[in-house]
Amino acid sequence: MDIEPSDLIVGLLMAALGLIGLILASGAMDNEMYVFGLSLFGFACVFEFGLLRRHFDKLDASPHG
Amino acid sequence: MADVSLAMPLQSAPNYNEAVVKKFLIASVFWAVVAFLVGVYLATELAWPQFNLGLSFINFGRLRPVHTSAAIFAFGGSALLGTSFHVVQRTCRARLFGGEALANFVFWGYQFFIVMAALSYVMGYSQSQEYAEPEWHLDLWLTIVWVAYAVMFIGTLMKREEPHIYVANWFYLAFILTIAVLHIGNNLAIPISAFSSKSYSVASGVQNAMIQWWYGHNAVGFFLTAGFLGMMYYFIPKAANRPIYSYRLSVVHFWSLVFMYIWAGPHHLHWTALPDWTQTLGMAFSIMLWMPSWGGMINGLMTLSGAWDKLRTDPGLRFSVTAVGFYGMSTFEGPVMSIRDVNALSHYTDWTIGHVHSGALGWVAFISFGAIYYLVPVLWKRSGLYSLRLVSWHYWIATLGIVFYITSMWVAGIMQGLMWRAYDQFGFLQYSFAESVVAVHPYYVIRLLGGLMFLSGALLMVYNLIQTVWSRTTEKTFVAPAVLAAAGE
Repeated sequence: MDIEPSDLIVGLLMAALGLIGLILASGAMDNEMYVFGLSLFGFACVFEFGLLRRHFDKLDASPHG
Repeated sequence: MADVSLAMPLQSAPNYNEAVVKKFLIASVFWAVVAFLVGVYLATELAWPQFNLGLSFINFGRLRPVHTSAAIFAFGGSALLGTSFHVVQRTCRARLFGGEALANFVFWGYQFFIVMAALSYVMGYSQSQEYAEPEWHLDLWLTIVWVAYAVMFIGTLMKREEPHIYVANWFYLAFILTIAVLHIGNNLAIPISAFSSKSYSVASGVQNAMIQWWYGHNAVGFFLTAGFLGMMYYFIPKAANRPIYSYRLSVVHFWSLVFMYIWAGPHHLHWTALPDWTQTLGMAFSIMLWMPSWGGMINGLMTLSGAWDKLRTDPGLRFSVTAVGFYGMSTFEGPVMSIRDVNALSHYTDWTIGHVHSGALGWVAFISFGAIYYLVPVLWKRSGLYSLRLVSWHYWIATLGIVFYITSMWVAGIMQGLMWRAYDQFGFLQYSFAESVVAVHPYYVIRLLGGLMFLSGALLMVYNLIQTVWSRTTEKTFVAPAVLAAAGE
């Protein structure tokens, strides 16, 4: 089963945003930026897992396996 | 003619993306309760300040933007995004553009913005600009999500199977595009560092104020009005099972509204350092806005011509129609308050709070409730709502709550305005500010009562909707085709 272009584009975008979140948290000068950076990283990770889960769910559901 | 229709191939409905609409509806109902709950708590703090409990993160200054953002962007925004995805798919006969991943990104990205913004307010971080409190990094995040939303909506319009773009989509499109321009324009700021949440606006002084209220009033005009008018133009005809009273009037309504609203912002800055001509311009356009606003209200109400009896049997539709009535009332009151001499009395008083809530509760919340009550049985494939009686109770409790709220604020506001401008025989101010605070205390308690009633109604709605989805009494009874054939249908 091919990867949908939408999954790929959004997956790459979220990976980049998650990385930016980690960088922001690492150099944060205040609590707000630290919390935002870590939350963005966490959000991106959970979103990526969701993309993977849906991809394999679809794969399992397809008649060709 | 009959031959032509017979020759047309039968088109099946596209595989609509209803999952994202459902998610936005659930989020909308959740945030509605949060917004009303925080509002009630704030009303308690205003009546009895000791409810601050000495905790910095729940003081009025920090919780107030949580309340306004939860009501406008979380509850209203989720309702708008969800219904716009429903309406654009159904009226274009096309599945949402961008695939499931992009739809999920828009939903979860928007919810992430709301949670992060609320968290930043209670932590004490704010740009100090009304309705635009989030700092630069959150503004950037919302811009990314909003662009993805615009791509999905416009992409769906472009791949539509219907030749015509239904008028509700025009209103939703105006909402999407204008909010993008306003959000970016008003939030142009220079952060002190890429790693700091603190930033400074590129504009300063009166220019900053002017841009802020160009944004602020058009947040009312395009977020809280145009978007919800899109909702009105789809859900009232659907619920009433009637076409719009005048499609031509709806198009005139659209173009005149979007042209005039964008100029009305300066009426928020009467009697300030803003040049007089700019204030007059804002006032003049605000008064002119009466015409398109009332044109739209008449169009919404007259759609029920020949179907007024449905108001007795469909309390969900009653919410929508009452919302249009409140829309007419708020859009009458707003231009009155924009007149400079009226504003001299009303500005900085609780009259403004009453005005805002007649629009927010009466128009925005009621039109959303009407759409939610219509959509939940449709999306969850149920035979109908669990209890129409509960919807009716919700309607009357919420309506009475609004009446308590807005009348108490009118009285409090006009009294404040009159006390602040009263002089004694020697030319001194007759009342101290503290005396005006004491005078409005009873009305603050009445306002709290109104808010509590509105919250109670919303909780009834939550129970009713959960039962609609879960209860066995609302399950659709499946009739096998063989039975239909035997019955001669």
